[in-house]
Amino acid sequence: MKLSVRLACLIVALPPLAIVLWLFFLPFLSSAHLSLLREGQWSLRNYWLVWRLYRYDILYSLWIALFSLAVVLGIAIFLCGYLRIHANRPVEFLFKIPLFIPFVVVGHAMRVLLAPRGTLNAVLSQIGLVSMSDPPSIAFGWIGIAVSLIWKNLALAVLLVLGAYRSVDETFLEAARNFGASAFRQIKDILLPMSRASLAVASAFMFTSMLASFSVPLMIGSGEPPQMVMIDVFYRINYQQDYGTANALGVVSYLLAMAVAGYYLRTITKRT
Amino acid sequence: MMRPTLRMAGFVVAALIIFGPLSSLVIWSFAEKWYWPHLFPQQLGFLYWAKVFQGDMLRALQDGLVIAVVVTALTLVITVPLAYVLARMPIPLKPVILMVFLLPQAFPQLPVFVNSMTLLYRVNLGGKLGGVILIHMVGALVFAVWTMTAVFKSVPETLEEAAINLGASRLKTFWSVSLPLATPGIVASTLLVFLYSLDEFTGTLLVGSPFVLTLPVYMYRTSVGYELQVASVSALLLMVPGIVLLVMLERYMKSEYLSMFGRI
Repeated sequence: MKLSVRLACLIVALPPLAIVLWLFFLPFLSSAHLSLLREGQWSLRNYWLVWRLYRYDILYSLWIALFSLAVVLGIAIFLCGYLRIHANRPVEFLFKIPLFIPFVVVGHAMRVLLAPRGTLNAVLSQIGLVSMSDPPSIAFGWIGIAVSLIWKNLALAVLLVLGAYRSVDETFLEAARNFGASAFRQIKDILLPMSRASLAVASAFMFTSMLASFSVPLMIGSGEPPQMVMIDVFYRINYQQDYGTANALGVVSYLLAMAVAGYYLRTITKRT
Repeated sequence: MMRPTLRMAGFVVAALIIFGPLSSLVIWSFAEKWYWPHLFPQQLGFLYWAKVFQGDMLRALQDGLVIAVVVTALTLVITVPLAYVLARMPIPLKPVILMVFLLPQAFPQLPVFVNSMTLLYRVNLGGKLGGVILIHMVGALVFAVWTMTAVFKSVPETLEEAAINLGASRLKTFWSVSLPLATPGIVASTLLVFLYSLDEFTGTLLVGSPFVLTLPVYMYRTSVGYELQVASVSALLLMVPGIVLLVMLERYMKSEYLSMFGRI
């Protein structure tokens, strides 16, 4: 390449890189730095506080993310298999809708639907399934958060898994059908094994985004422990101005995300 | 051989799953009086919809739109050239550059943005429109860079080579061959960026509060404050651009733009 072309490439790359490096990479590093400082001194006290106060919240977040991921994958694998074998455009379109609905709106909608005096209980009480004097609360607990995350992420999962299934050649499925394979066998023995890599990438993305979800637990969380980790970070900053502990919690969440990212990198490098 | 009744049943179940949670928003937005445990509100009306055109909600709507337009324009201008370079030029460290633009999606944003907030306050951009625009661009660039690089890669290289062989410069080729061919994909990517900025919550809450208010943050405050009708109206307003976009993208968006995501 000529020098002038090289220079042009550099100039073109600089502004977007600068924004991401300045407002994401640098703050990312500074959160590792601040997590090791306490009153201006190097210290591990922040991490000790995380262990003492938040270890159950970390487990709670992991549990919600894993549970939601398992449900989303379970539904998406078979739903997409059905949509791949019998094309059904209207249903496919319906499942794309949550992709374009913001997380805060999902949080609010589920809050209105699942609260003790929410729409779901009102409907169920009409047919006598729940008692009006003591309505059960689904929102304000882990199930409410999980339901919201599943609803929102199902759309992404359907998009990605269906994309992977569509790239499996039709002849494989035809061959299987000729040998009398049912829809279930076609999914289990052909579609699923042939799109394992794409499924792994999709799972890694969804797991991190669920673990890092903030607006959903903020909208339908109970305000009492156990809380999801991101809520702890926010409260630590907002109510206690304790940047040290908040950043230590942040670093723990990066490490969890990194473990997932490592798995993701291994999968994509294996493929190429 | 799917029986039509079974197909219909599948559609109804899917519609219930998708629209069930959203339907209570619609009812709530029109409910002027609704006492538990009645199935429907006692009094319906447009009282809360009228609030859209006044006070804080109107301000939130306007600010959110201004921010989204500026974010989209700036992101478009700085990403199109970079995406072309990433798709076509043999530049060094290309995988590293692409990975940098994956970071804001690969790591939890909130704990990072807490520190970005400190940095923005240091240069006097905290609590201002400028700061919110910058923090939106961090996330917007991820979508823009990855999708637009895929778009330029999908333009047939032979057409560009033909133009160069006929004596056109790189720049001329870019303007009159690559850019026009990439336009539908760029439109799709631009719409995604616009939607991302309209819906952004975490960064706006941290960097903008309490001075810059966009619709998602306004909705969060009213919902948590149990102003359920106002929150439901805002929620429905927030859904409109997404649904419009979904219908438009069905025409523009090719699945290969999205399937490129995250592959080096």
